[in-house]
Amino acid sequence: MITTASASLSPEVLKDARRRERRVAWRQTRVAWLFIAPAVFMVSAFLLMPVVFNIILSFTKWQKFTGLDKFAGFANYARLFNVPYFSEALSNTAIWVVGAMVLPLAFGLGLALLLRNMPLQETFKSLFFLPKVLAPTAVGAIWYYVYAPHGVLNSAVAGLTGQPFDVGWLYSAQTVTPSVIFTFVWQTVGITMVLLLLGLAAIPRDPIEAARVDGASGWQIFRHIIWPLLLPTVLVVTILNVAAGFTTFDLLWVMAGDYPGKRTLSLAVYMYYESFSNGAWAYGSAVAVVLGAMVIAVTAALAVLQSRVEKNIR
Amino acid sequence: MAVDITDQNFINGLIEQERRAQRPRGRWLVVPILVLTIAYLTPFYYLFVTIFKTSAEYAQKGVLELPASLAPFADNVVQAWTIAHLGQAGLNSLSYAVIGGAIAVAFAAAAAFGMTRLNLIGANGWFMLIFTGTLFPFQMYLVPLLFGYQRLGLINSWLGMLLVYVAICIPFPLLVLRNSFSGITREVDEAARIEGASEWRVFISMIVPNAKGPLIALFLLQFTFIWNDLLFSSILANGIEVRSIMVALQSLQGTYSTIGPNVVITATLISSIPTVLLFVVLRKYFMAGLQLGNK
Repeated sequence: MITTASASLSPEVLKDARRRERRVAWRQTRVAWLFIAPAVFMVSAFLLMPVVFNIILSFTKWQKFTGLDKFAGFANYARLFNVPYFSEALSNTAIWVVGAMVLPLAFGLGLALLLRNMPLQETFKSLFFLPKVLAPTAVGAIWYYVYAPHGVLNSAVAGLTGQPFDVGWLYSAQTVTPSVIFTFVWQTVGITMVLLLLGLAAIPRDPIEAARVDGASGWQIFRHIIWPLLLPTVLVVTILNVAAGFTTFDLLWVMAGDYPGKRTLSLAVYMYYESFSNGAWAYGSAVAVVLGAMVIAVTAALAVLQSRVEKNIR
Repeated sequence: MAVDITDQNFINGLIEQERRAQRPRGRWLVVPILVLTIAYLTPFYYLFVTIFKTSAEYAQKGVLELPASLAPFADNVVQAWTIAHLGQAGLNSLSYAVIGGAIAVAFAAAAAFGMTRLNLIGANGWFMLIFTGTLFPFQMYLVPLLFGYQRLGLINSWLGMLLVYVAICIPFPLLVLRNSFSGITREVDEAARIEGASEWRVFISMIVPNAKGPLIALFLLQFTFIWNDLLFSSILANGIEVRSIMVALQSLQGTYSTIGPNVVITATLISSIPTVLLFVVLRKYFMAGLQLGNK
C-alpha cells in the first residue's frame, strides 16, 4: 500500500500514484461495464421494464380491443373487491399457500427422517425426485386421467372396496383444489425431502448420540436437537414452496381445464383468464400487481426470519 | 471409573449393548413405506400400461389392467407425433432450451466476473438491479410482454421466445456464480494480469474453468426450466412453427380434444424424455444444483 511508504515520499509523487491508481480503477470499471452490459440490458428490457409497465397499466382502462390508455385511477383495484371471482380466487390461493407450505414439508420431513439411516437411500432419493424433473404440464396430463371419472383413482378405490366408485374429482368446487394440491405435493415432496436430507446430513452426530446415551426419547431428540439445527433448511424449503403455492399455474390450467369455475382456482389462473381469455389487460395487470405484492411481502418476511434463525445458530 | 477389560461379563455386556444399537429400530415402518411407495408409483405404472393400449382397448378395459400386446405403442407414437407436430415442437423447445440456457448462463457468468473480479464501481447496485428480476411472480411480466411483442413484431417468433427465456434465466445463475467466483483466490487472475493477459482472457481461461461444476449444474437447471415452460410460450408463441413442446402437449390434452388418453399419455412420455434422460445421466450435477440455491 502507498500509505506505508508515504513518510519518505514527496506530496507530488504521492498524488501522482493516487491518480494512477484511480485511473486503473476507472479503466477496470469501464471494462467491467462491458462484462455486465448484456445481463443488465436483458434483465432491464425484458423483466424490469415490463414490471414497471405492468404497474402503470393497472391504473388504465386498457382492453384488448378497445385499446388505449385512458387513466382509470384505482378503478381496476376497486373492481377487484366488488367481483366475487376475485375473493374466491383469493381464498383458493390462501388454501394453496398453506397446503404448499405444510404438506410437502410434513411428508418430506417424515420421509427424510425415515430414509436417513436406510439402505438404498440413493435409489429412493432418485425415485422420489423424478416427478420434479417432469414438466408440470406432463404431470398435469397424467393426473388428469388419474382423477378422471373412470380414471385410476376411482378404479383403484372400486377395486379395493368392491363397490362402484365414481367421483368427479376435478369437476366439483369441494374436491378440485385439494385434488390439484395433492398432485402438487406428489411432485414436490421429493425435492423437499432431498433438501431436508442435505440439511440433516450437516447436523453433527455427537450431540444426538450423547442425548441417546442419556436416555432421551426419539421425540425429545428431534424436538430439542434436530429441529432447531434443521430450521434454516426448513425455512429455505418453505420459501420455495410458498412462492410456488402463490404462483402455480400450469398444473391448474392443465388439470382443471374442464372445471366450469376455473377462473377462481387461484389468483395466478384468474390473472391469466382475465388477461388472455377475456382480453381485460388492465384488469389482469391489477390482479398481477396484487399477487406480486403478496408474494414479495410474504417471501421477504420469511427471508428475514431465515437470516435471523441462521444468525442464532452460528 | 476403573474398568477391568479382562472381565468377560463386562465384555459380553458391551457386545450386547452394541448389538442392540445396531438392530434396526422400527422394523414395522417397512409396511407403510411400501404402501406409500406403491401409491406414489401408481401414476408411473398407469403411464406404462397406457402407452401400450389402443384407444378401443383403453375404453373397454380397466385403466390399471395390463395391455394385450406391446404393439400399439408404435401407433400411439405416430399419432401423437403427427397430430401434435411433436417433431417441430420438440426441435423448437430443444433450441430454446440449449441456446437460451447457454446464453443466459454465459451472460450471468460474464456479469458475475465483472462484479467480483474487476473493480466495478457500484457493483452491489448493479447486482441488486439484476437480482430484482427474481422477486416478481411471472404473472407481472405477461401482459406487458405480450403488448411489447405485438408492437415490435416479436410475437409468434423464434427470436422473441429465445429473448424472454434468456432474460428470465439470468438472475438466478448470477446470484450463484457471484458467490462461487468470489470464492476463487485473487492470485489466480492477478498472476495472469501481470503476464499481460486481457480481462477477457482472464475470464475465459482462468475463472470459467475454475467454476465448471456450478456452470454445468446451472445450465441443466435452466435447460429444464425452459423445456418445461408452458406459461410464456402459450402466450407469446403458439403458432405451429414456433410453439414449444409443452404448448403442443397441452393442445392434445385440451377440453374438446377427441384424442384418446393413450395417445395423450404417449405424448407426455415423449415430451419428458430429454429432461429425464439428462437427469438420469447427469444426476450428480442436478443434485449439486439443488445445493447451489441454498448458499
